[in-house]
Amino acid sequence: MNITKRFGAVVACDAVDLTLDRGRIHGVLGENGAGKSTLMKVLIGLVIPDGGQVKIDGKVATINDPIDAATQGIGMVHQHFSLVDALTVWENVALGDVGKLRPAAIRDRVGDLSSHYGLTIDPDAVVGELPAGMRQRVEIIKCLRRDPQVLIFDEPTSVLTPAESEQLFEALRRVVDEEGRAVALVSHKLDEIRHATDAVTIMRQGKVVERIATADSDAASLARAMVGRPVSLRSESAALGVLPEPAPERDAEATVPGASSVALEIRDATARGGDGRVLLDDLSLDVRPGEILGVAGVEGNGQRELGDLMSSLLHLHGGQVTVAGTKVKTGKAGAMAAAGVAVIPEDRHDSGCVLDMTVAENLFLAEPGRVASGGVMDRKRMKQHAEALIDQYSISCQGPDAPLWSLSGGNQQRVVLARELANQPEVLVAAQPTRGLDVGAIEYMSEQLRAAAASGVAVLLISTELEEILDLADRIVVLSRGKVAGEMSRADVDLESLGLLMGGALIDEAEGGAAQ
Amino acid sequence: MTDVVAQPTENSPDEVSAAARGRHLVVSEVITLYALSIFCALALAGILVTVTGGSAADVFNALLDGSVRNPGRWGLTLGAAAPLLLVALGTIVSARAGLVNIGQEGQLLIGAAFATYVGTRLGGPGPVVVMGLCIAGIVGGAIWAGFAGALRYWRGVPEVLTTLLLATVAGSAVGYGLKNEWLLLAPAGDRANRNQVSEQLADDNRLPRITWFGNEFPTTVFLAIALAAATAFVLARTVPGFRLRMLGQNPRTAQRAGVGATRYGMASMLISGGFAGLAGAAMLAGGDFGNYQLVPGFSTNIGWTGLLVALVARERAVSAIVVAFVFAGLRTGSGFLAATGVERKITDVVQALLVLALLIPPAVLYIRERRRAVNASKERV
Amino acid sequence: MNAVWDILSNAITYESAARGAVLLLFAASGEWVAERAGTLNISVEGMLLSGAFAAAVAIDATGSVAVALIAGAIAGLVLSAVQANLSHRLPADQFVVGLTINILVLGLVGFLDNELEPAVSSVEVVEIPILSDIPLVGGALFGQIWPFYLIYPLIPFVWWLVYRTRWGLEVRSVGEDPNSADVSGIQVNKRRREAIYLAGITSGIGGAYLLTSVNSFVDSIIGGRGFIAIAAVIFGGWTLKGSVAGCLLFGAVVSFRLSLPAAGVESVNTELLQALPYLVTIAGMALFAHKVRPPAALTRPFLRGLK
Repeated sequence: MNITKRFGAVVACDAVDLTLDRGRIHGVLGENGAGKSTLMKVLIGLVIPDGGQVKIDGKVATINDPIDAATQGIGMVHQHFSLVDALTVWENVALGDVGKLRPAAIRDRVGDLSSHYGLTIDPDAVVGELPAGMRQRVEIIKCLRRDPQVLIFDEPTSVLTPAESEQLFEALRRVVDEEGRAVALVSHKLDEIRHATDAVTIMRQGKVVERIATADSDAASLARAMVGRPVSLRSESAALGVLPEPAPERDAEATVPGASSVALEIRDATARGGDGRVLLDDLSLDVRPGEILGVAGVEGNGQRELGDLMSSLLHLHGGQVTVAGTKVKTGKAGAMAAAGVAVIPEDRHDSGCVLDMTVAENLFLAEPGRVASGGVMDRKRMKQHAEALIDQYSISCQGPDAPLWSLSGGNQQRVVLARELANQPEVLVAAQPTRGLDVGAIEYMSEQLRAAAASGVAVLLISTELEEILDLADRIVVLSRGKVAGEMSRADVDLESLGLLMGGALIDEAEGGAAQ
Repeated sequence: MTDVVAQPTENSPDEVSAAARGRHLVVSEVITLYALSIFCALALAGILVTVTGGSAADVFNALLDGSVRNPGRWGLTLGAAAPLLLVALGTIVSARAGLVNIGQEGQLLIGAAFATYVGTRLGGPGPVVVMGLCIAGIVGGAIWAGFAGALRYWRGVPEVLTTLLLATVAGSAVGYGLKNEWLLLAPAGDRANRNQVSEQLADDNRLPRITWFGNEFPTTVFLAIALAAATAFVLARTVPGFRLRMLGQNPRTAQRAGVGATRYGMASMLISGGFAGLAGAAMLAGGDFGNYQLVPGFSTNIGWTGLLVALVARERAVSAIVVAFVFAGLRTGSGFLAATGVERKITDVVQALLVLALLIPPAVLYIRERRRAVNASKERV
Repeated sequence: MNAVWDILSNAITYESAARGAVLLLFAASGEWVAERAGTLNISVEGMLLSGAFAAAVAIDATGSVAVALIAGAIAGLVLSAVQANLSHRLPADQFVVGLTINILVLGLVGFLDNELEPAVSSVEVVEIPILSDIPLVGGALFGQIWPFYLIYPLIPFVWWLVYRTRWGLEVRSVGEDPNSADVSGIQVNKRRREAIYLAGITSGIGGAYLLTSVNSFVDSIIGGRGFIAIAAVIFGGWTLKGSVAGCLLFGAVVSFRLSLPAAGVESVNTELLQALPYLVTIAGMALFAHKVRPPAALTRPFLRGLK
């Protein structure tokens, strides 16, 4: 039986046709910004299309909000934003239903579903205290509870270790084969799509460019369809979500003169959150000038805290940070920046830029003194400098006086990059730098990071995308539960042990020693 | 004070010109929206007056007479506008830093109290005493706001509540001061049988007044306008102003860029209170309020109204000049209402209605702006 | 010291403390729900005042206490509607709106009071047999006018509403993480508005109750207690139990000031007494505010798809 979705003339999705069949896992592949999220949002009721229709089992369906979607049998497992931390598992699962609240019945159902699918979870646990992999289980149970006929998974593996991803795909296979549902797997990662799906629809710039059975495709042609031009799988592997072949030719050691001097040293960093939770646990690492140190790990293990630490947003209760030999006070406004630490933060809207200010103002956030004399800012100088930077970094905008919110995500990222690199930093911390960017922007960012390293900057790359780390890093450490769980150099990388290290804590927790 | 979550757009040439066209439409929309809102507010007030048996036309005329038409009145209005403007400027500073200071009434009162103390006790040439009392006013207001700031930054108490509660406490504090000769109360002989009144400022220790075209007003008016220009300049063009705005718009980014929330936040609270305190000192030494003497209830809602001025002026220092004059006009105009038989409080109602009405157009426009941005950004999701 | 003992052993102290606390409780119970939904409504002061005035007018016109309470509820609801729709349908800043509503109500009420001059008659006390004979607190808890007793069912009702109903679950989620709630299909701003309407109703009733317990209406009848109610919610860590405790504490202090002269203590400074409730409130918050965790989205407006 067919489930058809047809749309037209929504600007983000241009006459998109998508057909999901029961009993099959259907991949929707496309780079960030291709329109796949919007398409899914239409299915789930968060966006109303301007044209076209959705048909389920041949009948037209009207979907005005997520509750409608759920009643009609469409469920989505979101990447991040559907669980309320402060509530318990069962309360979260119940969120979005209609009708009287029946806690006992919900708890029972959670128990049933979790044992049926092998997704063990405690219904009374507070979601905020669960690690990311467990949270996804809650998301899945929340979705399955309504007995959907169509399940949509939006970039599910970003919070999972490779082993957990495997488990997830197995579970999905079970769901379609045994229960005859349809699954849509939305991703920008080639390998994942090839591995887990039966058929692929490729989207680019809002349109569907190809539909193909996975068995009939190969990586290169998928990549080409995704991006619209021939691509080198090797050099753009990170962007395409392809695990690069081992041992790329880059030879990091040779480019680092006097490699004994350490640019950034973090020793025994310990930090606790307001509620006593341990955020960083005796974390130690060092980065040398010209080296790219990749911090891998599953989201929620301290990546954000590490980024905050280097942004002067986190105060350490123990341990210290030394930049180019000088100890830096943690948590003190601007101290890291003054010491020569540049940061491209995980969420630029949160701590990287000021959306309401102009491009020029954003370019000089930390150093307004450079374009001021005697405390008064010189508009002309600011404009000149800004234009030079706009040129240098090819920032596409209406001019230095354009408000930052009018730029696209990739260009906003370039503004942040331009500002951070303009001060010739000692250390560059890049936290999830390519999140949400399209292939072109990702390539640009990767180039910039490599160039920075080549010019002697010590680069700390924090990323949950293994592909990115493997593509760029010279050395890799794994972050798990707020501390460094292991280290290896790029040349000697062993994917299996990496995966184990990333899932370190979870192996201890999972009942009956799963995770292999 | 609101969060902004915006959408990015890629701008192709077509889009740019479409945007330009869109912007033109928006200007006429904006004007209509504002005009409609103000009209509704005034209409509501008019209805209120008529329903309770008064004549809206009479009220309107009385207000105009009292504020600007009758001889000497616009001088009075200017005299009232000056402290309003000062309070508004202080509010603008703290608002731009992202803080909610609504205790100006109290900060003003404490400032006036400090100014009274210094003004009636400091010896020396007139100008020195006047300077002294102004500085005292600033210090008093700053300290009062500083309490709220300290509670926010060191104990996490929201300043919206503490400034408010402290405003009431200020009333009691000044009341106490006015009962004790060692503080503010005038010596028995000078009091002429009144209970709680301070010594009057000596002739030399008063702010000079000037007369233009038959209208007399204190020179504080010029001071206030100068400060408004200075505030606008500092906020828009200097490094500290830039940093302050950063703090208000995105505290985390500001922290990264070296703007310590505590330091800049406290500073802006102190400045905010200082302005209010200066307004209090200006009221005392300017002559339009209470005859150069401090009495209970001295602040007569100047603090609250000044705060409203800042809100209506959308936190822009230069607009505040005009808005302060308008609100001052309502105030002085209300003095003429007795003749119409309509209760004075109607002007409070009009003020509040105006503020509410003026909140609507920006809100509506903001939503339209976002809708446009969201639609345009559907190109790239 | 003796004076303190005199006060503490006098039943009247407790009676007036209870009255003061209950006024705060009416406001705080609704505002608690509104703050759990992530909104902070300083217009509670105005809602209380409008409730009191509406009740005064209603009593003047009909002489019925029940009608007065309903009038109060309606007045509070109307104001809460202004607050809710300007701040959570349109994106006007909730502090600005709240403040302006307070000023508007003060002016309106002052204006209308002079024009209408409602006369208020006092309401009889309804003593609950046996219970009101409990020494010291009996009269305070069970020997009051009948609107007082409304607080007894109201508090558990509010608790049930927030913790046992779907509506309450949604309200809580909206206050903690509006984005997730939105994605789960909950109408964030609608729930917030509804919570504010509730606050308007309870505050309106509270103001009406206050009016029925005194002999006349003055525009200073609320005198800042709306803000104290908000402070009580914060002081109580955004739990209902804590808010109740806060209201009892602050309410007691408010009435303490009135009992002192009654117990014959004249020498204490009037101004200090006047300021005492506010000082205690500030001190209370200073001690506890940084230990408690507000609903994560408190005071952060929600804008997505502009629903």
